[in-house]
Amino acid sequence: MGIEMNDRGPFDIPDIGPVVGSEFAEISVNVDSEANSTRLRLEDLRTGRVRYLDPLELETIIWLADGHLTELLDPSADRWRDRS
Amino acid sequence: MPTVINPDAVPKSLVSELIRPSQVHGSLYTDPAIFAEELTKIWFKTWVFVGHESEVPEPNDYVRKQMATQDVVMTRDRDGDIHLLINRCAHRGLQVCDDQKGNSSSFRCPYHGWTYRNSGELLGYPYNKGYGGKGRLELGMGKVPRVESYRGFVFGSMADDGPSLLEHLGAATGEIDRLAGLSPKGEVSLDAGWLPHKTRANWKFLAENETDGYHPQFVHGSIFGVTGSPIGALYSDASTAVTRALGNGHSENDLRPEFRKFAEPMRWFGTTPERVPNYVAAMREAYGEDAERRMIEGAPHVMIFPNLFIAEIQVFNIQPNAANECISYATAVQLRGGAELNRRMISQSIGSVGPAGMLLADDTEMYERNQQGVSMLDPEWLDVRRGLVRETTDEDGFTIGAATDETGMRGFWKQYRALMEA
Ligand code: FES
Ligand SMILES: [Fe+2]
Repeated sequence: MGIEMNDRGPFDIPDIGPVVGSEFAEISVNVDSEANSTRLRLEDLRTGRVRYLDPLELETIIWLADGHLTELLDPSADRWRDRS
Repeated sequence: MPTVINPDAVPKSLVSELIRPSQVHGSLYTDPAIFAEELTKIWFKTWVFVGHESEVPEPNDYVRKQMATQDVVMTRDRDGDIHLLINRCAHRGLQVCDDQKGNSSSFRCPYHGWTYRNSGELLGYPYNKGYGGKGRLELGMGKVPRVESYRGFVFGSMADDGPSLLEHLGAATGEIDRLAGLSPKGEVSLDAGWLPHKTRANWKFLAENETDGYHPQFVHGSIFGVTGSPIGALYSDASTAVTRALGNGHSENDLRPEFRKFAEPMRWFGTTPERVPNYVAAMREAYGEDAERRMIEGAPHVMIFPNLFIAEIQVFNIQPNAANECISYATAVQLRGGAELNRRMISQSIGSVGPAGMLLADDTEMYERNQQGVSMLDPEWLDVRRGLVRETTDEDGFTIGAATDETGMRGFWKQYRALMEA
């Protein structure tokens, strides 16, 4: 996957779109219009997992208390859990 | 019963016999055991310059830094507080943060996914049943215990207690103030990028040289000649400039007497008010009558013990790797509200201390030859007596010598010895 330098900057990758990335995560961020109204399509480029967020969900994230968001960052919270 | 003082109980430093009032021994620069002692007694104890708040302007910004042999991440948390995290995972010791800079509220170790807040606390870890469930571990990233800044200059101390940063800086605060006072907004930023310059020499050669006014005419003769710079004359026998030991190992070449003599604004920068009209107007607007004095006297040339050198238009951060190697990081000073001057300071810095910069190359050549030389056996001592015959005390009680005297070096060694023998 080559990164092309264009006017939109090195984070805009052909066929993938804008990427918000750091050494800790790489997420492609696109607006999807396949459904009845537009929504955000987020793809974890490391695992390929996709999540769509509708405007109300996005608003919720924006209003989420920092403490609440921080809890979700715990790797055991949702992602790597013991499911024995 | 009378207290018997056992002289053997007093911890003795390896360096005690190696520093004399006018001489220092060559092994101070070559002995790995002395370097190890310096790490514990100086670099992991006193206040060390790390970076500048302007390098992490936004919440959750971070940059990697070096504190002697330690890999440190300077972070700004979401509340705006600055932290210095030791870049080591509390689980199995991995380096948690790999990028040189970025923006992240938390750091996740690549080995087993342990996740830390950007203030160092452990947020969580995968498969927590192995530890008895969530929240059972009180392990965080290591932190530099004391972090303080002065006018945006961030310093860290690895010791839990000791003198405050202000006590350590002492009179050197006045020099940092003087630099900030050349900004129409009273603020410096150091966000133009740092150029690391690996030098095969002991860190003390750099620290001593920074206020050595004896060498410029010789070492930098070629660049002064090519550029027609008037700087050479500031460091001559005829100069009215002085070298001042500011206490606590700090020292300066105070060039103000020379600049006051000419009383020309911007001469210190080698330019005239007409060529930087917007800057001059902004200074007059900000400081009124006092603007002229500031623009005549110019920026400080000060070495702040052990590793921060403000060289008028550049700032250097010296960090040791080993007895015979250090890294000198250089960046151009940027004055808030001084766009016109900032552009010039960047291009002048590229010319003097950039990858092909002449000043830095000149000095580095001397440091590395110096390092080679001190491994030779005879004579064993280096001489630092220059100016002892004419040293005086100024009205503030500081020791001063002439522009070319080794007053700064002697001040450096006094502080060095005090810390090593403490
Ligand atoms: S070493 Fe960092 S998570 Fe194991
Ligand atoms: Fe020099």
